[in-house]
Amino acid sequence: MTAPNASERRVCWAARDELWRCLDENKDDMSRCQKLQREFESSCPAQWVKYFSKRRDYLKYKEKIQTEGFEPLDSSAKS
Amino acid sequence: MLRTSGFTHFTKYCGYSSIRVFPQCKRLGLLMNSGRLSGSPNNYLSVAFSKSVFQSCSEAKSYVFSLPYNSGARHSVFNTVKHLGKNSYSFQSKRPYSQGSSKSTSTPLIKLRTRLIVTCLFGVGILGTWYYVHSEKEKKLQLQRIEQLKKVAIGQGDFNLVDHTGKPRTKKDFFGHWVMMYFGFTHCPDICPDELVKISNVVSILDEDKTLPPVQPIFISVDPERDDVEAMAKYVKDFHPRLLGLTGTPEQVKEAGKAYRVYYSTGPKDEDNDYIVDHTIIIYLLNPDGLFLDYYNRSKTEENIAESIRKHMKNYVKLFT
Repeated sequence: MTAPNASERRVCWAARDELWRCLDENKDDMSRCQKLQREFESSCPAQWVKYFSKRRDYLKYKEKIQTEGFEPLDSSAKS
Repeated sequence: MLRTSGFTHFTKYCGYSSIRVFPQCKRLGLLMNSGRLSGSPNNYLSVAFSKSVFQSCSEAKSYVFSLPYNSGARHSVFNTVKHLGKNSYSFQSKRPYSQGSSKSTSTPLIKLRTRLIVTCLFGVGILGTWYYVHSEKEKKLQLQRIEQLKKVAIGQGDFNLVDHTGKPRTKKDFFGHWVMMYFGFTHCPDICPDELVKISNVVSILDEDKTLPPVQPIFISVDPERDDVEAMAKYVKDFHPRLLGLTGTPEQVKEAGKAYRVYYSTGPKDEDNDYIVDHTIIIYLLNPDGLFLDYYNRSKTEENIAESIRKHMKNYVKLFT
C-alpha cells in the first residue's frame, strides 16, 4: 500500500486531535468518544493508529511522572 | 615702593600723573582707552584692560612692563588673572615675578580637545586590536572543531543511491553545495513530515538572503523495501521544491546509514504488512566539501537552524580547491 500523501496525513492528524481532545475532556473515558475513535481508525492506517495510541499513553505517563512523581522499584532502592 | 591692595589691581608706583605711550604700540593706546586710572599722584595706579587687547597673560605682562615707571625696582607679579567684569581682566600682584606663567582659560581648552582626541584614538585602537584578536581566535576555534569532526569521521564514506527521478547519485554530486540531510521513510506517521517541513522552512528562510548560497535539502529513505523511486517522488512533492529524495537497494541504504551513523530498525509488521521504522531523528549539515559540520535534533527551531547555518556559511573556509 502506498503511503498517505499530505492531505491524507492532515485528515488523519485532525481526527487524532479530535479524539485526544475528547479524551482530555472526558478524563480518558473511552466510552464517551467512541464515534471519534471510529473516525480516527478509518482515517489513519492501522500502524499509525497503534503508533498514536502508544504515543498518547506515553505522553500521559510522562505527564503523570512530572506532576505526581514516581516510586522507584523496591529492588533498586536497597541502600 | 610697591603696595598691593586686596582687590584686583596691578599697582605700579607712579610719580607722574600720566603715562607715556609708546608710539609703536597701538595696543597700548587701546589700553589707555579702556583702562581706568584711579588714585592720586602719590598713590597707586591701577589699570584694568579688556581681554580683547591681549591674547594671553604673558603678552599682557610684557606690555605692562613696557609701561614707563618712575624709579624704583621693577616688579613683576602676575600670578592670577581675575575676572573683573565682562571681558575685563586685571592682574593681581602677589609675589615677585617667577617663571611660572599664569594660566588663562584659553590654553587648557585647546589642550583638553587634543587630549580628548588622543584618548579617543587610543580607545579606538584598543577596541580594534581586541576585535581583531577575538575574530582570529574564533576562526581558530572553528578550524579546531572541523578537525575534531573530521576525526569523528561521520559521513566520510561515499554513498551510492538513486534520486526520486531515477538518476544515480553519489556524494561527489553534491560537492560545492551546502546540504541538509535527513533520514526517514514515507510511511512515517508524524515525525518525518514535521522535520521535512522544518527543513523546507529553513531552506526558504535562507533563500530570502540573496547573499547566501542555496542549500540543498536531501531526504534519504531508511525503508528501501517500500520506498522505491516512485514512492519517493510522490512523497517529496509535498515539501520544498528543491527537496531531493534518495533511495536504493537495502545494501546501498545500509552503507549510507553506516556512513552517517544512523540507527534504523524496522518494527513488527501487522496484518496488512504495514510497519513503522524506528530511526534517529537528526538533520545533518554538510558543507560544500562534503564534510559533516553540524547536526540539529527535534528541539531546534527553524530560526535556530537557519542562524546556525548562516554562521557556518560565513565562517566557511575552503579546504579543498
